[in-house]
Amino acid sequence: MMLLFENIKLALSAIRSNKMRSFLTMLGIIIGIGSVIAIVSIGDTMRSVIASEYENVGINRVIYYVLPEDNVWYESDYFSQDDIDQIKDAFGDRIPYIDTYYYDSMTLSDGVRNQEKVDIYAVESGYDQVQPMDFLYGRMIDEGDVESKRNSIVIEQETAQKYFGTDNAVGRKLQLLSTTGDREEFTVVGVYKKQDSFLMAMSGGNALVYVPSSLYFTPDSLGFEINCYVAEDTDAELLRTQMTNYIARMKNRTTDEIFSTSARDEMGMMDSMMSGLSVAVGAIAAISLLVGGIGIMNIMLVSVTERTREIGIRKALGARTSHILTQFLIESAIISAAGGFIGTLLGIGIVALGGMLIGIDVVVNPLIVVIAVGFSAVVGIFFGIYPARRAAAADPIDALRYE
Amino acid sequence: MSELIRIANLNKIYDSGAVQVHALKDINLTIEQGEFIAIMGHSGSGKSTLMNILGCLDRPTNGVYQLDGIDIANRTNDELSDIRNKKIGFVFQAFNLIPRTSALKNVELPMIYAQVPGKQRVARATALLEKVGLGERLEHMPNELSGGQKQRVAIARALSNQPPILLADEPTGNLDSSSTIEIMELFTQLNREGVTIIIVTHEDDVAAFTHRVLWFEDGRLISDRKVEKQS
Ligand SMILES: Nc1ncnc2c1ncn2[C@@H]1O[C@H](COP(=O)(O)OP(=O)(O)OP(=O)(O)O)[C@@H](O)[C@H]1O
Ligand SMILES: [Mg+2]
Repeated sequence: MMLLFENIKLALSAIRSNKMRSFLTMLGIIIGIGSVIAIVSIGDTMRSVIASEYENVGINRVIYYVLPEDNVWYESDYFSQDDIDQIKDAFGDRIPYIDTYYYDSMTLSDGVRNQEKVDIYAVESGYDQVQPMDFLYGRMIDEGDVESKRNSIVIEQETAQKYFGTDNAVGRKLQLLSTTGDREEFTVVGVYKKQDSFLMAMSGGNALVYVPSSLYFTPDSLGFEINCYVAEDTDAELLRTQMTNYIARMKNRTTDEIFSTSARDEMGMMDSMMSGLSVAVGAIAAISLLVGGIGIMNIMLVSVTERTREIGIRKALGARTSHILTQFLIESAIISAAGGFIGTLLGIGIVALGGMLIGIDVVVNPLIVVIAVGFSAVVGIFFGIYPARRAAAADPIDALRYE
Repeated sequence: MSELIRIANLNKIYDSGAVQVHALKDINLTIEQGEFIAIMGHSGSGKSTLMNILGCLDRPTNGVYQLDGIDIANRTNDELSDIRNKKIGFVFQAFNLIPRTSALKNVELPMIYAQVPGKQRVARATALLEKVGLGERLEHMPNELSGGQKQRVAIARALSNQPPILLADEPTGNLDSSSTIEIMELFTQLNREGVTIIIVTHEDDVAAFTHRVLWFEDGRLISDRKVEKQS
């Protein structure tokens, strides 16, 4: 134990007395570990960004639409209010929310001077039940709004600030201008706090407002797709099969022509992409650590040869074979672990810098630092074995005589 | 006085395949505790070979070597390491200090291998360096010391585990005459304190400090002469 401590001190002073060489020796490990840490952290960060995106969108959401084999759509392939009502009757107990995903872009104006482009989402009532929202004032579009086709509007906190200079804009009036020039007056019923979303920020970031679906999706309108939220305790896969069959029958299409996609699917795709990336990362790691390890072995061999006389002196003074062996193993382990540590800092630094530039929070698994340093120490020990054994096996007389 | 070293019918043959060198031939020798001995002889006569065997750095080809009652034949390498660590202090012609390592650390080294606790180690190494007159040079690196100073560090190091024997192969070979006298006076003092000292030398002046001179020729011990001291 005491000897271990002495050996560590010895290794540190050997490394210090040969700073430049030690650093160059570490370089392979630094670059290898650094790039692995960077890639793994990028992966973790992407995963967390995507996971939080889906939290915003809703993990239980499934979208269905008709995708004809010959890519020719008929009017009957679109969804009417009647279709929606039928689906509601058949699956309502397991699908608490369904709409035709009516999304549009309009101009929001206070009728005086403020006006800006906004995205509008025409929702059914109960949307806030399946997609939790953070209301500062008022409420979400409700059944009364939808049923009575009231011109109610729910806006973001920032929009409220911009148009009214206050968060509490409930009861205030705003106008929506369609692209055809129609102008309609709305009453603000709710102000919500937008969740930070990386994808939304990337996609230009128009403010989003909610209005009742009945204003835009009338009994004779048609929607391209239906947007369903599945109840938490439902067998989602079974429901999906049943829905697909049901829609296929309804639309006179084969089940293969009913396309559906869920957040879960995309998460799964992301995950498999990530694990593909992990394999690539593993390969890079293996190659770079192999190269780094061979570099360490090479330098340790040089160092052992240079210090042959020192080894002879140590043996004459009573060092056992194992003392010499551990001395050199610890030295190569420390060089390698230090390389791993520097590499880790470098990798995290690069990712953190990148994250700062594009404005996202970087995820760094603290465990990875421990693993990286530990693993490089193991690499150091592994590639240090051969040189250390050579040192330990030296005959003391030959070693003492070495010029 | 008790017997420290016993060598009987000892031979050393270097066998490098094609050539065989019979470096030590039928050596018989006993050394008592507290002796101060010079080994002399022409170059190639086998002095260093004998010192290596005495120092447990090398093994005899055949014959008996007992050190402090322990039979040295058939010891493992690690056992020999431990014997060197505890029983023998080496002083070399080329000083052989560990480079880039302070005088203090050099003196501590044998105690590190003997697992002496750190505080005790530093205290003892400091005391030894003071004893050899280098109390002011504890943190000096070997390349910051003169030859005589280096050799004094080496002697302090050799004494650190309080071994009964000091083996010195031409310890003054690289020193000028005044440093030589200093070192020999130090050896004399240590010998008075009870350390058995064996020195290989080519110089009569050096041998004159000792009490017994062994003369080697062509691998044989041809003369073993007590020196009468008229002090
Ligand atoms: N490792 C070895 N292999 C083969 N022969 C050796 C070896 N070491 C010494 N010898 C030979 O053994 C003989 C004695 O050598 P040794 O080194 O003991 O002489 P020495 O008396 O110390 O001489 P010097 O005064 O020059 O130091 C010499 O002939 C030498 O060549
Ligand atoms: Mg010699």
